[in-house]
Amino acid sequence: MFESCYGCATCASADKPLEEFIAKLPMQTSHHRVDTQETKCGFGLQGGCCRLCANGPCRITPDSPRGICGADADVMVTRNLLRAVAAGSGCYIHVVENTALNLRNTALIKGRMKGPEALERLCRIFGVNGKDEYEKALKVADAVLADLYKPEYVKMELVEKMAYAPRLKVWKELGILPGGAKSEVFRGVVKCSTNLNSDPVNMLLDCLKLGISTGIYGLTLTNLLNDVLLGEPEIRTAAVGLRVINPDYINIMITGHQHTMFVHLQERLTDADVVARAQAAGAKGFKLVGCTCVGQDLQLRGAHYTEIFDGHAGNNYTSEAILATGAIDAVLSEFNCTLPGIEPICDELLIKQICIDDVAKKANAELKPFVFAEREKLSNEIIDAIIAAYKQRRPRVKMNLMPDHGYENTLTGVSEVSLKKFLGGNWKPLIDLIVSGKIKGVAGVVGCSSLVSGGHDVLTVSLVKELIARDIIVLTAGCSSGGIENCGLMVAEAAELAGPGLRAVCRQLGIPPVLNFGPCLAIGRLEIVATELAEAIGIDMPQLPLVLSAAQWLEEQALADGCFGLALGLPLHLGLPPFVTASKVAVQVLTEDMKNLTGGQIIINSDAKESADILEKIIMEKRAGLKI
Amino acid sequence: MKRIFIDQEKCDGCKNCSFACMQAHRQTPGTVYDLDLLDPKNEARHSIVTNGKGGYVPVFCRHCAVPDCAGACMSGALKKDPETGHIQYDEKRCGTCFMCVMSCPYGNIKPDRVSRTKILKCDFCVNDKEEPNCVKSCPKKAIHVEEVVWEAAV
Repeated sequence: MFESCYGCATCASADKPLEEFIAKLPMQTSHHRVDTQETKCGFGLQGGCCRLCANGPCRITPDSPRGICGADADVMVTRNLLRAVAAGSGCYIHVVENTALNLRNTALIKGRMKGPEALERLCRIFGVNGKDEYEKALKVADAVLADLYKPEYVKMELVEKMAYAPRLKVWKELGILPGGAKSEVFRGVVKCSTNLNSDPVNMLLDCLKLGISTGIYGLTLTNLLNDVLLGEPEIRTAAVGLRVINPDYINIMITGHQHTMFVHLQERLTDADVVARAQAAGAKGFKLVGCTCVGQDLQLRGAHYTEIFDGHAGNNYTSEAILATGAIDAVLSEFNCTLPGIEPICDELLIKQICIDDVAKKANAELKPFVFAEREKLSNEIIDAIIAAYKQRRPRVKMNLMPDHGYENTLTGVSEVSLKKFLGGNWKPLIDLIVSGKIKGVAGVVGCSSLVSGGHDVLTVSLVKELIARDIIVLTAGCSSGGIENCGLMVAEAAELAGPGLRAVCRQLGIPPVLNFGPCLAIGRLEIVATELAEAIGIDMPQLPLVLSAAQWLEEQALADGCFGLALGLPLHLGLPPFVTASKVAVQVLTEDMKNLTGGQIIINSDAKESADILEKIIMEKRAGLKI
Repeated sequence: MKRIFIDQEKCDGCKNCSFACMQAHRQTPGTVYDLDLLDPKNEARHSIVTNGKGGYVPVFCRHCAVPDCAGACMSGALKKDPETGHIQYDEKRCGTCFMCVMSCPYGNIKPDRVSRTKILKCDFCVNDKEEPNCVKSCPKKAIHVEEVVWEAAV
């Protein structure tokens, strides 16, 4: 093993040491397959292709402007977009449902609530109370679940309590207040099926509605429920990158978005009897190695479990490299982004794959569905399987570590609560910096990494550098965070790359110019920050000098998140269009008319400098609008 | 003679032509639904490559007036048909020297990945009465057939 490279035609990466590491690997990764998948279908890229019925696939050309049924490009594009947004919403609603169920079950057995203040805040917002924290947690979880399970024709109640009043007014006027979140997904997929809805604007409004239910429940509330169960983020520094992998331990790489599903296992792994078993097998103990968003989530709350969590190694398209180090003994997956491409690597390196939620079942993974009541048994079985894998594989597998990769003192633990606390308990210091012009504005750089747009994290990282150089502070959430931190933009020294105003602020406070809010779920936290800023200034959200960028959006979930951004009235930059450019109506509504509907807009540009110019211009216009 | 002409500006890279070529040259008969897209035996006899600027370059056999491939062929497996002007390949005579692969100025000829003793080369769908299947399948008309005057090669 590790004698020869698989093939050096790998795609570029913003993280040059990682790019070099992957190019030399003896196994195939996603980075190798970009080359052979380079030729794309033009119809697919533009969304001018429909295969919703047996007459298809129909494609739009100058000679055939309509499909056989008569659907034109506008119908094809918006139908497919709604399908994608509904699927993406379904993913996040699955996550919040499981999170609420786990909180509920924990409350019923009077299990530990590590975030009492988060619970109090939720009780205040929801207007519920209880005799003790268990009753309170039960009521909070039940309130969320009750909304999720409402039919489509009954509006969800917490939207009114969670949303910013001026936004709620706009949403009511547009008729896009969502009914039960699961039912809205159902309605979305019905609406875009064969020969049903063919009104492109009506379908785009449904995308916004799904955006609201995704954003408030799937994103924001998942974070807050997690805070109750797992503890709140605390600002601190931590190591990131492949350096965090310590081969002396039995290492479990975790992938997914549902931390509450392996809390029991995580706690068992540090129990003396389990550690003793690891030691008997020849290891010092167990470590969880962070990967994908759930890794970001663990990093964010890392202050609460320094013993078991080794640090965040990397994002979605770093997962193959993490496995290729040879030091990972098992992959525990509960959701995406668990790439299908990890399977041959796991096979080759004898890495045990275990899946605890069948929505993310890998072909070669052992399915151990998480059942709360059976968590004790389940954790023990998983531990047995992983120890067995460790014993079997370690004498046979050669290590290919990267101990210098990444950074040691990366700032993490930033949340809407911890940041405000850091600023002295209110947003005034940040608002003053924006008013004075030392910080021109705020950019939320969110979403995934894709291997297009120049390569792994390439557009994201170069865009962030352009933005901070223009004195725009960057807040991140999602796999983009993993790429940006592994490229060194979240250490205090990165202040050097910022413009003079932002640099001075960073030096004074000892912070980097890019603040990491963690997983994609934390887009919900960024939007709380945006809401609280607007509230503190006394304006509506579209007036804020604040922009969003999902430069390297990858998935349907990102599209659902993006719809939340649009519903909030925020400008949203995308590196590549979401398969919509065949439709003149979709392009017009998303990039122009949306400004009059919600105040939001989509900006599509794949060049970092040009994108930063556009975003800076929008920020300057918003500043002018506020007379600052 | 008939020749395929390429308008690379029009090519969207959809690979419909590749699909049609695979289907036309598959060894076992069948429909487009059961064509094995993973079987290297079904590989298309041309390539669509990116031009690095967001566009595509369709690489098709030009059936050259003075064919370098046939000129390089020592065994006589590649010959220009005196009637049609198309370069045809007789795999029984092939000596597996791959000099044709080396000498094609367009990089069109591919070695056969399965047998490793043959090549894959466009036969202009000689057994079809109509125009080549790739041309028929192109939704953008980025490739088309034209009649050109051919003077016998020297």
